[in-house]
Amino acid sequence: MTDTASSNRARASRAKGVSTRVAVHGVLAGYTLIAIFPVVLVILNSFKNRRGIFTDPLGLPGEGTFSLEGYATVLTQGDFATYFSNSLIVTVTALFLILLLGAMAAHALAEYRFRFNTLLGIYLILGIMVPIRLGTVAILELMVDLNLVNTLLALILVYTAQGLPVAVFILTEFMRTLSRDIKDCARVDGLSEYRIFFEVVVPLIRPVLATVAVFSMIPIWNDLWFPLILASGDATKTVTLGVQQFIGQYTVNWSAVLASLSIAILPVLGALRPVLAPAYRRHHIGRRQGLTPHHPEVRRSVRTHATRRPQVLWRGQGDPRRRPANQGR
Amino acid sequence: MIHGVDLQIKDGEFVVFVGPSGCGKSTLLRMIAGLESITGGDVVIGGEQVNDIAPADRGIAMVFQSYALYPHKDVYGNMAFALRHAGEDKAVIEDRVRKAADILGLQDLLKRRPKELSGGQRQRVAIGRAIVRDPEIFLFDEPLSNLDAALRVQMRVEILRLHQRLETTMVYVTHDQVEAMTLADRIVVLRDGRIEQVGTPLELYHHPENRFVAGFIGSPRMNFLAAERSGDGTTVTTQGSAPIEVPVSPRDTQGPVTLGIRPEHVELVAPGAGDLDARVLVAERLGGETFLHFDLGDEGDFVVKTDGGATHQSGDTVGLSFPPEALHLFDAEGMAFAPRERHALIG
Amino acid sequence: MSDPTTDKPEGVPTRPAGRRKRRRAAGAHIFVFLAPALLIYTVFSIYPLIESLRLSLFDGLEDGTAVWAGLDNYATLLFDPNWATQFWRAFWNNLVLFFIHMVVQNPLGLLLAALLSLAPRFGSAYRTLIFVPTLLSVVIVGFIWELILSPLWGVSETLLGTIGLAWLYQPWLGLESSALATVSLISVWQYVGIPMMLIYAALLSIPDELIDAARVDGLGGWSIFWKVKLPLILPTLGIVAILTYIGNFTVSFDLIYSIQGSLGAPNFSTDVMGTLLFRTFFGQQLQVGDTHMGATIASMMFFIILVGVTIYLALVQRRLQRYEM
Repeated sequence: MTDTASSNRARASRAKGVSTRVAVHGVLAGYTLIAIFPVVLVILNSFKNRRGIFTDPLGLPGEGTFSLEGYATVLTQGDFATYFSNSLIVTVTALFLILLLGAMAAHALAEYRFRFNTLLGIYLILGIMVPIRLGTVAILELMVDLNLVNTLLALILVYTAQGLPVAVFILTEFMRTLSRDIKDCARVDGLSEYRIFFEVVVPLIRPVLATVAVFSMIPIWNDLWFPLILASGDATKTVTLGVQQFIGQYTVNWSAVLASLSIAILPVLGALRPVLAPAYRRHHIGRRQGLTPHHPEVRRSVRTHATRRPQVLWRGQGDPRRRPANQGR
Repeated sequence: MIHGVDLQIKDGEFVVFVGPSGCGKSTLLRMIAGLESITGGDVVIGGEQVNDIAPADRGIAMVFQSYALYPHKDVYGNMAFALRHAGEDKAVIEDRVRKAADILGLQDLLKRRPKELSGGQRQRVAIGRAIVRDPEIFLFDEPLSNLDAALRVQMRVEILRLHQRLETTMVYVTHDQVEAMTLADRIVVLRDGRIEQVGTPLELYHHPENRFVAGFIGSPRMNFLAAERSGDGTTVTTQGSAPIEVPVSPRDTQGPVTLGIRPEHVELVAPGAGDLDARVLVAERLGGETFLHFDLGDEGDFVVKTDGGATHQSGDTVGLSFPPEALHLFDAEGMAFAPRERHALIG
Repeated sequence: MSDPTTDKPEGVPTRPAGRRKRRRAAGAHIFVFLAPALLIYTVFSIYPLIESLRLSLFDGLEDGTAVWAGLDNYATLLFDPNWATQFWRAFWNNLVLFFIHMVVQNPLGLLLAALLSLAPRFGSAYRTLIFVPTLLSVVIVGFIWELILSPLWGVSETLLGTIGLAWLYQPWLGLESSALATVSLISVWQYVGIPMMLIYAALLSIPDELIDAARVDGLGGWSIFWKVKLPLILPTLGIVAILTYIGNFTVSFDLIYSIQGSLGAPNFSTDVMGTLLFRTFFGQQLQVGDTHMGATIASMMFFIILVGVTIYLALVQRRLQRYEM
């Protein structure tokens, strides 16, 4: 081929690359703007006085408009410290329970063969399709009977029950892919099933736990329904409920309203990086080639346990997973 | 990262890029394919500079290590994919796919999905997909690495026969030097992004240009012994031996030298009758051949390959004799001293 | 007789006999692992649902006792004019909500995920920022948009003005004709991050070599997306669809309650099953709370979801295979 023909083809190839890139960034940046703009608008205006908000909503807070009066109102009138700590307690505790109990249940389902394994698995995962809200009528009655109305514990229990099905589903799927060898090695070394779970399995599933945590946390923190129904007392209000009622109360005072919204937004934004980062800490080990992915974590754990050479090889009958392999030692 | 590679491949040649992990062989292959960007220099295919031309337009076809078959298509669909996308006539597609299937023995598998195939079958489908494209160059990226040992040997032969039949240029990447030796017309040995040596398998075997190539090609590995030179000549002593004359051209270099000899070239004689005496550490008997391991020198295992009927045992002392024409000498930087005469098998 | 399970090679130290005890409690650990999760889940999720179903089959009398009513409540809900109008309207609104989400949110999520999977520069920044609305409380989202769309503040009018479309502006949230669509789009704005993340994760699991093979086969970016990536992520798209369905029938309450109140203002145009349930159960200015009718509505919601999921599993799921990659 002549030189001009080939350089024309090259130029065409290159040009296609550039225009694609422009289009990709255009769409992504465009939507990002749409996603972010309302939030930025609110935060900016929360630092303005009433006049500034109305006369110049799109401008930055400046000379005549900068003011902290909104924040002043919020911090004196609303009890946001309490609301925050409530939300925090409920979310963190529920998350902890979801991850712990979910991982334990998933481990039992994935690791051991026993009679009701499949049945219980389906039972637990059914909850994904069954929104817990539909039982609210009975949940409220139950809480009344248990004397748990207007307590944070009520919320914690409900959110745990709500988050368990998805957690168990994701964790079971993942745990099934874990190599059996390293657990058997620990069994031969004499570890109890409980220690195996906490010391061998849990470190291996850390990335998945992080992902589950992210997905479970959001519906808990942002939920309006259950705080409204189960724990609307002043002492137990969550941030979501608190802001909603504060807005209802102070609708006309725009500075205060915007300030309260910003107070509710900022911690979420602050938690963004540490929250999203572990969930997407991709295993960037070279290129994905369609082979079984090898977690760096797996490799590390396998090494520490593989160095402990078992002194007695398993020589028994039966399923080693049902009976710990420390017979005859 | 590839550094200053200058390579020419002849039409119809089977070239193998070989080297340890991370040496850049796959990267180089992908540059030829157009899957990696090039920051400097040119890739020229058939006289045409193709740096900015898309992979599909370069006249190449590629077989991947993990086969990269489309899971949602059957075997026929996998092989026909590219042609269908290009809007090729159905009859033409049918003809080409069937021909490729015949060459590879896939006729009965055309309706199966990849997940229903064994590793070897998947590999053949991947090769079939490449054949259908009727390329000027076949690119293979470690295609046999995922197969078990027996299958690998079998597929090696099939690939060789494919090359004989199609007579197309083939560029093949592997980390296995046995594959390289058996398949290649010419081998390119790479390390850390640089070409260490290019040559026919026998050239690399008999005349490695540096220690790395000498130690990489040949199994078991060449034995290395630290040695001292007497003056500027080509006589060395090692491990307290008598002076040994190495038939290489003298060079004016400083520093310690290394003597190299392949396990299969060392001769076993009575103690005292050879260049060195040594005690057998371990004797590995494979039936058809025996490997004797000696604790000699600091370069690790010293291995001698000998006949299956050898009766040496652990603890025996034997004499090791080094035929001069089988000796290699390397300077302090690992560069080989040029041999005075080239091996008979090589031009 | 030698017992192969207790024989040891010579020289291996014996463990103290106490260790053998664990064999007897063999299955105990399975129970311990499963029990807590099963307990909380059953007591606070399954039991209330069944109890709600049970309550729906009863009627409440003035003195607080309950009397068996069979399917009367359901009949009332579906056919009695006092209830049926509300029910069917709420149901219809939910369907509209679902439709808008399927048509706007999910294709948008797919588009964003597809673009992100090309690994452009700033990719993780885009991902993080687009996900911000999902992290926000629905209260915040509702109110932000109320403000932005509010005629009093005029921000939307001004913005539309910059592109010459100021005449388009209406107080959409306040108009019966547009309130539902507006609220739906606000919900889309908030939740698009979720399908985006799910689809993005699915796209990432496609091996790079497969894409390389497609490039060598001559496919350009667009073709690779339609012919290679899309078929391989169909199961994920199915999951996204079913999650959208379930979410729209339950979680939609939060946003609508925040913006329009439990009456689905203006004039019930944004009333959905969730708000209907809420005000039936708790009552508001116009009516007293009715536990049993509330339970009935909840049960109806459950059945609607069940029907949708069953249709999905029967028709769609069977055709979608999970491809081994």
